[in-house]
Amino acid sequence: MINAQNICKSFNNGAVRVLKGVSVNIEKGDFAVILGASGSGKSTLMSVLSGLEKADSGSVIFDGKNISEMNDKQLTEFRREYVGFIFQQYYLLAHLSVENNVKLGADLVKNKDYLEIIKAVGLEEKLKRKPSELSGGEQQRVCIARALAKRPQALFLDEPTGALDEQTGREVLDFILKLKKEQGFTMIMVTHNENIAQTANTVIRMNSGKIAEIYKNSASKSAFEIGW
Amino acid sequence: MVIGFKDGLKLIGISIICFCAVFVCTFFINYYVDAAAAGSNVAEEMKVMYEGQLATAKLSCALSGCCLSLIAFFMLVFYIKLYVDGHGKQLGILKAMGYKNGEIALKFWVFGLSVFIGAVLGCAAGYAVMPIIYSQMTVEGLEIPIKFHFWLPLVMIIAPTAVFSLFSCGYAYFALNRPVGDMLRGKTAKSRKPRKERPQGLKAERSGKERSFLVEMGFKTLSSKKMLAFFVAFASFCFSAMVQMGGAMNDLDAEAMGPMILVIGVVLAVTTMFIALASLVNGNIKNIAIMKAFGYSMKECALAIFSGYVPFALIGFAIGSVYQYVLLRVMVDLFFKEYALEFDFNVKVFFITFAVFIVFYVAVMLFYAFKIKNISVKEIMAEN
Repeated sequence: MINAQNICKSFNNGAVRVLKGVSVNIEKGDFAVILGASGSGKSTLMSVLSGLEKADSGSVIFDGKNISEMNDKQLTEFRREYVGFIFQQYYLLAHLSVENNVKLGADLVKNKDYLEIIKAVGLEEKLKRKPSELSGGEQQRVCIARALAKRPQALFLDEPTGALDEQTGREVLDFILKLKKEQGFTMIMVTHNENIAQTANTVIRMNSGKIAEIYKNSASKSAFEIGW
Repeated sequence: MVIGFKDGLKLIGISIICFCAVFVCTFFINYYVDAAAAGSNVAEEMKVMYEGQLATAKLSCALSGCCLSLIAFFMLVFYIKLYVDGHGKQLGILKAMGYKNGEIALKFWVFGLSVFIGAVLGCAAGYAVMPIIYSQMTVEGLEIPIKFHFWLPLVMIIAPTAVFSLFSCGYAYFALNRPVGDMLRGKTAKSRKPRKERPQGLKAERSGKERSFLVEMGFKTLSSKKMLAFFVAFASFCFSAMVQMGGAMNDLDAEAMGPMILVIGVVLAVTTMFIALASLVNGNIKNIAIMKAFGYSMKECALAIFSGYVPFALIGFAIGSVYQYVLLRVMVDLFFKEYALEFDFNVKVFFITFAVFIVFYVAVMLFYAFKIKNISVKEIMAEN
């Protein structure tokens, strides 16, 4: 599904080298966690793998397409067709209702069944609410619905439980895992939480812009099972 | 302190509008005072023309002065609101530490600095063009020497600066009158409104019209930033009215005034339009970033943000066309009817102005569309 070879990425005209020759392979339907401390380059790796940013060198093959050679327009088309995002800070459109925030994703693929997804995340009673009228957990569920409404082949999550309390975080994580099981999309999650890594199939541990280790979990667990 | 001199000097739009207002008022008031003093020397046969010139000076001064001052007030309100919303967290911390609203509001006097700069430059420019204005406006055979009235620069500079500084403090006091918690959480004044209780359930919630996301985004962007619709309409109004009025000056035997009116119109239109659209893009930068992340193209993002404002631009243009015609018609009929000046609505000038306006509007939108293209999704995300 995603094969990245020797990815390098730096900022400030090369002064800050964030990724130093990273290579990873993520299978279709896999749940991969990119684990690492703050500044290890995990979010930048996610941005490069998802086509949000271009690498300075190296190649990213996504479902047979070399996205590292795409221009901005092609990358936009690629993101439109293949990927969904869930961010720690939600980034919901504050002046739009729950329904319209979800339509942001649904309209891209002409998905008329987006209400089913809103129902699935349990927000059917709050369709016309604005994000400011929802709790943190509810806002993150809107993000999940928005991302899934565009039927992505790969879902990228950047610290999706980072802004939530422990209980809500567990609920959200289990909810995402349940949807993943049902819909079978590939999932790549960035986190610094070691416990969350136990819920994944593949764990990519990063340190100072390099891959420290990659290992597979034999049996992935739910958020409540890991005791987090 | 959160508010510094730099913040006060940043409001270049207000400076430009004040420049235009003070520029026009300075030479017209000076001319009016000097011409009024020379009234006893005017021969009987010149009286009508002389009275017409005085009335023109008075009307032009009152109209442009009032209109531009009003716009500057609106712009100041807009900027202060934007500032308080944008710096809600810092201002909230000050309030949390025990600073009173009044103490913080007093610091907003610096917003009057932009008025001061515009007024000083406008006054200087007004004096610079005075010889041309006098030669253009004065009736042939009548001598009106340019006299310096020391009170005029004082009134033109000190008065607006003081009024706008006081107004800034007063409005800031009003804008700061919000719960500290809301400010610290970054809530804007609008988001505090209590929500109306609505019937629960999927059907009840979905009683509204079904619109696509981009259309809905266009509507909601417009309704969340109504003041910008006013600025867009005003910019179009200025362009339409003053460019056409500048063109009509040839018909009214006032050739020197034409380019001046035209330049003022274009400067006001360009400044206001850029300010409006820049605020629109900056206020929606996170929304644009998330749309781009999800795969919306530059064109779709630009359409969603700008499309709601197009009708206001056209309305502004139409009002400007009618306004300039009615104003000049009234002046010709009331003040210069003895001179049998040929004046009618100039269809050719109207269409040329409209074509240029369309090009101008599209160019400004394209400029900001390319700005949208260059918005780095990652950078916007990293700012939080």
